[in-house]
Amino acid sequence: MKHSHSLFLKVTSMREQLQRMRDAALQSIEQADGESSLQDVRVRFLGRKGELTGLMKGLGALSPEERPIVGQLVNTIKDEIESCLESALTSAREQEINRRLQTERIDVTLPGRRLPCGTRHPITLVIEEVCDIFAGLGFSVAEGPEIEHDWYNFEALNFPPEHPARDMQDTFFVDNNLLLRTHTSPVQIRTMLKQKPPVRIIAPGTVYRCDSDATHSPMFHQIEGLMVDKGVTFGDLKGMLTVFTNQLFGQKTGVRLRPSFFPFTEPSAEVDIACVICGGKGCRVCKQSGWLEILGAGMVDPEVYRHVNYDAEEISGFAFGMGIERIAMLKYGINDMRLLFENDVRFLRQF
Amino acid sequence: MKVTYNWLKEFVDFDLSPEQLADVLTMLGLEVEGMEKQGCGMDDVVVALVEEKRQHPNADKLSLCRVNNGKEVLDVVCGAQNFKQGDTVVLAQIGAVLPGDFKIKRSKIRGEESFGMLCSEKELGLAEESAGIMVLPQGLTLGTPVFEALGLKDTLLEIGLTPNRADCLSVAGIAREIAAKLGTQIRYPDMPIAESAAPADATIGVTVEAADLCPRYAARYISGCRIAPSPQWLVKRLNAVGMRSINNVVDVTNLVMMELGHPLHAFDCDQLEGHRIVVRRAGEGELFTTLDDQQRTLTADDLVICDAARPVALAGVMGGLYSEIADTTTNILLESAWFRPAAVRRTSKRLGLHTESSHRFERGADIGMVPRALDRAASLIAELSGGAVAGGVVDVYPGKMNPPAIRMRPERAAAILGIELSRQEVADILVRLECSVRETNEGALEVVPPTYRIDLEREIDLVEEVARMKGFDAIPATMPIARVISDRPTQHQRLERSVRDILVGHGMNEIINFSFISPDAADKLLLSDDDIRRTAIKLANPLVAEQSVMRTSLMPGVLEAVARNTSFRTMDLKLFEIRRRYLPTAEEMPHEPLCIAGALTGSRAQTSWCSAPDAVDFYDVKGIIENLLELLHIRGVTWVTDQPEPYYHPGKSCSVMAGRERVGSFGEIHPTVQANFEIEKPVYAFELDFAKLVTLSKPTPNITAPSRFPDSTRDSALLVSDDVPAERILECVRSVKAREIEQVEIFDLYRGVGIQDGFKSIAIRIRYRSYERTLTDDEIGAIHAKVVANLINKLNVSIR
Repeated sequence: MKHSHSLFLKVTSMREQLQRMRDAALQSIEQADGESSLQDVRVRFLGRKGELTGLMKGLGALSPEERPIVGQLVNTIKDEIESCLESALTSAREQEINRRLQTERIDVTLPGRRLPCGTRHPITLVIEEVCDIFAGLGFSVAEGPEIEHDWYNFEALNFPPEHPARDMQDTFFVDNNLLLRTHTSPVQIRTMLKQKPPVRIIAPGTVYRCDSDATHSPMFHQIEGLMVDKGVTFGDLKGMLTVFTNQLFGQKTGVRLRPSFFPFTEPSAEVDIACVICGGKGCRVCKQSGWLEILGAGMVDPEVYRHVNYDAEEISGFAFGMGIERIAMLKYGINDMRLLFENDVRFLRQF
Repeated sequence: MKVTYNWLKEFVDFDLSPEQLADVLTMLGLEVEGMEKQGCGMDDVVVALVEEKRQHPNADKLSLCRVNNGKEVLDVVCGAQNFKQGDTVVLAQIGAVLPGDFKIKRSKIRGEESFGMLCSEKELGLAEESAGIMVLPQGLTLGTPVFEALGLKDTLLEIGLTPNRADCLSVAGIAREIAAKLGTQIRYPDMPIAESAAPADATIGVTVEAADLCPRYAARYISGCRIAPSPQWLVKRLNAVGMRSINNVVDVTNLVMMELGHPLHAFDCDQLEGHRIVVRRAGEGELFTTLDDQQRTLTADDLVICDAARPVALAGVMGGLYSEIADTTTNILLESAWFRPAAVRRTSKRLGLHTESSHRFERGADIGMVPRALDRAASLIAELSGGAVAGGVVDVYPGKMNPPAIRMRPERAAAILGIELSRQEVADILVRLECSVRETNEGALEVVPPTYRIDLEREIDLVEEVARMKGFDAIPATMPIARVISDRPTQHQRLERSVRDILVGHGMNEIINFSFISPDAADKLLLSDDDIRRTAIKLANPLVAEQSVMRTSLMPGVLEAVARNTSFRTMDLKLFEIRRRYLPTAEEMPHEPLCIAGALTGSRAQTSWCSAPDAVDFYDVKGIIENLLELLHIRGVTWVTDQPEPYYHPGKSCSVMAGRERVGSFGEIHPTVQANFEIEKPVYAFELDFAKLVTLSKPTPNITAPSRFPDSTRDSALLVSDDVPAERILECVRSVKAREIEQVEIFDLYRGVGIQDGFKSIAIRIRYRSYERTLTDDEIGAIHAKVVANLINKLNVSIR
């Protein structure tokens, strides 16, 4: 009986101690200020050397019957403190976040930390855009030499020697046979000599004419196109150029073909688009005509086929050529061609 | 080609405004490049009648007039004296604007109100000088704009002709096009000739010795002419199209050339030895003075018109000085001939003599027009100079030249144009163009073009005519049906774009320089005398010396761009250019390799509130090249300090090697070169051979999967002799060949306090990681010790 009495006392004292510790823990949690003091509470009560661990050492003195009862109580209290701590921590974190969100402010108008950006040259931009449009129409890019043989630049393109048509292109000569190509058209000849129809090429490149003023540069750029196949018509040329100009200058850009003359095409046409500046009403850029000349084109002349050993009765095709500078100037509203070759980065950085 | 609206109306009827006419011509391929209205905006300058004229009360030299403009009677003060009451005069009403932006306002002159101004010819822009006001003939309707009443309202059309359309170099030629388009007929001017009894060939004779170059030569003889100034109508007509009046005979030849397109020449027949014309090739070195008083040396290629003794004209180009029409001339030999285009062109080009006449002959005049132009001019000369036209024409035309008969298949035209075309429609169009058309048995057409259309020789030429007359607008746009071609951009093309994108991604701006440069660029770059880049391709006809040789290096252009920008105080630059250079070869065609060049100068980044800008240096260029080569998957890159170029600082430049291939070089620009290009601050530049990069670039890199185990790093600070390059330290670490070495970095370089002279401290960081497991500290320690030992042994480093 004595024994059981003392046991009773022990159990009672454990319970009381646990209850007191629980109350103290909950009170500390309630009084804690912020996450770090809550962590202190955790260490003080639940840590390895904490109060609960200390009390649990007393469990060993209890009888085997009493031990599970008190043990269960310990677990209940531990769970209760844990859960209180958790919810207090959650709310402390939320408060902390709210505090930061309410107090932290920066000046968003200060300039960003930028890696300096480079730019492609506007001539490159236009060449790439035009090539991409024609790539989508099944054309591949071809190239040729800039220092060209007279035969490719003139004769094979049906400019006989002594012909007035040669006056249309002021030529830089290297010697009797070599010259700086005056147009990208010799690439047509080089391509057709290398391959049989069907041919669909687009040939961007640098060309030269001895002429220099505000609207002429002695070096400039052209893109040449050539399509040769069975049954290609002048109507097809119109269709292709309409698709192209619509892609380059926007849907429903008006296109007009009017008769012209190039020795290597017949029928030949100048291609005008409705003025992109005034929309066709007439302005300074289009000289009040409402039209801008951007391309020369035509059906490949049979004489050209003869030079490349194609049978003009079997196939037909068209060729076209355009000045890149002209397109760049229209597209970007540049009014002086010289800007394109002055390499002033204040100009170049805008592209 | 200049022509006026009213002049065209004399040749063909049309019901079109000048604007509509311009549009029709442009869409026919005769591009109207400019229009100039004459007498426009002057509708407030009207015909008026002086009803009363009296003395101004307050001024002796002024009169007060009451002037009737058909609607009302106005008071006008006038200072001129050359008119009287009842005269018809020109009244500029209030609101009119006279040439010189002279606005007519209501005014008070010496106390008398004036509601307009009576005008002189000078004030109307009709004459250079005039005495008094313009007095008009009686009978004009009062109130009509005066330019309209006098028929002076006109529109000058400037037509840009393509070189194939020689037939349109005249009023008649353009009128023919309008007539063909509108389906009407052209009217040629009258040319009545009252020939005298004496036959021409009794006085003049023509011998053609070079019939190959001159297939036809016709002449008329006109005697008893009086050379005088031309009448006003003729002067005005020539002035209207930009020609100067000379005298009544020369002006007629010019007028007929403008009307009919055929150049003529009038000789003073009494100056022609033997009154004879001989057409022959010039002797080699023969001298001749043209009428512009220039002595010319001729060659055997030149065709000359001679008299019995010597040349009197360069055929189709220009007449001679001593046989030209002078004030004293009385008897005239009038030439109308046809010369081979190539012959005229050769002479005109060689002598640099481009005339209205040579322009037409070298493009191809109309051989059928020879007699017609001759008659028209003879008739006018006789009329204006009082001369008598001798009987008959001396016409040497041994072999008649006929235009070719062309076989034309209407279905071929339809197939090329992509439209439906009936044979009848094609024939109708060609007939409107004055072709003679005959149907052949196989259903084709046999077409003979008129003599003036020398550009029509082949079926395709006729196809173009059909398209032109139908109108390009009438041909619908279609999309071609094409076979699929398997093609894609070449490796070369794709990499060119990649390189450009990579450099742009590094903050560089693309520039484009001219391909031709100054020959002294090689000197400015300090190239040695035997440098092959001094052997540049020269232009035979450069515009200026600064653009006379094809560049063998992109470097001069890049440095010039730096100089130009810094001169505008843009000091921070990152420029690149991807273009060709031009190298002579043993073969005929030069080599045009694509090059990449660039330059950096100034600050690395823009001035910022968060960091101080550093100046760019050698390692900025190197970083760009390293990235470029890595992104192109080029491996085995080394940097060789072989003083690659004379234009780099020898101690701050190197070659870029990929394996054994030298792909380019870079470095700090030599201070002398920098000064030669007038650049203030150091410049770091590079040049790379694009073709080599393409060859070396691996399209598909080898990829390894990353390890899934944790890494560990070890740092070591090495004290090493200054002459040991960093690359050797890195190589020495890698040479340990432990698979666990994942990465080696140099993260610090230090010289100065605490480090003895001739030495540097380099800190390296090695990242270790295994592909199989997590490495223990002991394992890593062992490998690192091996690395360090190797560094100590091989490079004599000490660990700090």
